[in-house]
Amino acid sequence: MKRLRKSLTAKAVLATLGFSLVALITLGGFLSFSLANSFYQNRLEQVLSETERAIGSVQNTVAAAALTDETALQNLINSVVPSLQITGASANRQVALLRSPGQAQLELFQSPISPDLDLASIPEALREQVRANPDVLSYTPITLKRGDVSFPGVTVGAPITIPLAGSFELYLVFDLSPEQEALALVQNALLIGGVFLIFIIGGVSYLVTRRVVRPVEQAAAAAELLAEGQLDERLAERGSDVIAQLARSFNKMAGNLQQQIQKLDSLSRMQRRFVSDVSHELRTPLTTIKLAGEVLFGNRERLEPALSRSAELMQAQIERFELLLADLLEISRYDAGAVQAELELRDLNAVVGAAIASIEPLALSMDTPIEIDLPAQPVEAEVDAKRIERLLVNLLSNAVEHGEGKPIRVEVSQNQQAVAISVTDSGVGMTKQQLERIFDRFWRADPARQRSVGGTGLGLAIAREDAILHRGWLQVWSKPKRGSSFRLTLPKRAEVVIASSPLPLPPRSVEP
Amino acid sequence: MSQRILVVDDDDALREMVGLVLSGAGYEPAFAADGLSAITAFSDSNPDLVLLDIMLPGQSGIEVCEQIRSVSGVPIIMLTAKGETEDVVRGLEAGADDYVVKPHNGAELLARIKARLRPLSEEGGSIQIGILSLDPRSFEVKRGDTKISLTPLEFKLLHTLATKPQQVFSREMLLEQVWGYQYKADTRLVNVHVQRLRSKVEIDPENPKIVMTVRGHGYRVGTETA
Repeated sequence: MKRLRKSLTAKAVLATLGFSLVALITLGGFLSFSLANSFYQNRLEQVLSETERAIGSVQNTVAAAALTDETALQNLINSVVPSLQITGASANRQVALLRSPGQAQLELFQSPISPDLDLASIPEALREQVRANPDVLSYTPITLKRGDVSFPGVTVGAPITIPLAGSFELYLVFDLSPEQEALALVQNALLIGGVFLIFIIGGVSYLVTRRVVRPVEQAAAAAELLAEGQLDERLAERGSDVIAQLARSFNKMAGNLQQQIQKLDSLSRMQRRFVSDVSHELRTPLTTIKLAGEVLFGNRERLEPALSRSAELMQAQIERFELLLADLLEISRYDAGAVQAELELRDLNAVVGAAIASIEPLALSMDTPIEIDLPAQPVEAEVDAKRIERLLVNLLSNAVEHGEGKPIRVEVSQNQQAVAISVTDSGVGMTKQQLERIFDRFWRADPARQRSVGGTGLGLAIAREDAILHRGWLQVWSKPKRGSSFRLTLPKRAEVVIASSPLPLPPRSVEP
Repeated sequence: MSQRILVVDDDDALREMVGLVLSGAGYEPAFAADGLSAITAFSDSNPDLVLLDIMLPGQSGIEVCEQIRSVSGVPIIMLTAKGETEDVVRGLEAGADDYVVKPHNGAELLARIKARLRPLSEEGGSIQIGILSLDPRSFEVKRGDTKISLTPLEFKLLHTLATKPQQVFSREMLLEQVWGYQYKADTRLVNVHVQRLRSKVEIDPENPKIVMTVRGHGYRVGTETA
């Protein structure tokens, strides 16, 4: 059903069939109705003229006979009236001569009636109409019954005066079943023709739609494959119609796309090569500088004060340079897509503990207490412990730096799918504008602020890449003068897509 | 007599600087600038330890490492510009005992060197593990009458495990006791060297009887005598 709804061809064919069906039913109904009408009118005219002739002949016969006695009259009537009756397959006519009511004469006179005539075919209303309008023929459509079968008929009547006998009404009952049959035949033909037409329309519309839709479907399938990365996928270009135009445009687009992607691919490969080369080329001289700096720094007591201070400054800046280089190389590796997580099942409590242990000397020197809220049971997740620990150390050192000596709170929690760690300080906090740029590279919330901790400006950018690498979230809440809270949410299993974090943000400890 | 250290690195400045650091610490440095001359320099200077850069012109550090290993158990510390997994593991598999990632500081380098040159504290007599016997005084390992040649590091690894046959050693414990790391280091060092050790002492390395893996914990020596 879903497939049917999705198929453009099915939709088009169904719509065509629906509209054609409505049109055909309307047309057929109209044809059938007007045919029936004209059949009836034709027959009625015929019927009326036949009746007129019949009445005329009866009237004439009776008048011409100049009868004087009742028996002769009865005989004459008995022979004339039944002769009006016709029995056959093509036409069926019955006759009745009825005496008008309200006359005293000739009670004995027998009115001749066709033997199988049902008097119900001559309704009382018609008789009254006949008596009321003696100059015209009156008629009414009726339903005749033969056994269980009903069929249409028409009864025509006219008054007739018979000398000696008085006023009579002559009725002719016409059977219209031959016309009915003829009409049914035509209607059947119409119906069969209509059904055929529907099939033909369905078939034709299927073929036509197929011709138009198939290339579109092929294009859709090709686009799908292209999107999945099969860049060699192309459409067949045949003819010069709009379909061929579509194929040509599609192929052109695919070609351009492939070229662009290959170009980007080679750029990315070059970038990775470049990163690797820079890594080697920079590290070797940096090692030499570092070793040399250390020698100078180690012997600074033996130098003049200015030289000694120079050695100190150089030593500190070499360290900073080294950190910066390491972070730059790391972020370049992310940019080149060359980072792979080495996931293993680890207890996050232990990772958090290690991160706190390594930040503790700094926290102590800044006189900042760290409060820890860890669950009693292990919080296990598939993580790259080195990266997560680095990320946490980064969050912690930021918290210490911006925490103004107020306690830093570290919380760990878990739910079915995910684990979460939040690091919250109650320090300077950030404005909304600052928050928007917090993960930007080399961005600092307050460039004028004196830096106590030598960050590189890349820490949070790398932290975010690390979170994304784990298919996790790194989110931040902050208010000026209230503090900041970073929340890291990671899936327990690498293949899980996390839906919610086990910890609230801002944390419970922060008043809303 | 001071211990001699062969420094193999293609960067002249770094080679000289490392030499200065080593001299300052009381070692006697020898130098080689590429892979090919490294082998000659090795046989000429007969060093107590080799510092080996992985990326060398001519012949890679990995090949040099294999060649030195084929003739000597001398401690080899790799210098690698990148802590990339493949290079490190290949170097360790080629027989390097430890590695230092550039840029390293002098203290770090000297600590690694010192740990590798520290003699075994060989108290006690020979130890028996199954059919294997260890003699700490002569660094000899014998399976029955057959002598098995181990590098000092491999001997120390086996000896450390063998001194406490009841104990399961975690990788971290081995890193501290065998390699001399005070804090967390690369546990691949342990994995690779256990493999190398097994390939020498086990009859069937696929089915170890002497250095057993305790799943999820670490290693211990086999207690069966079979």
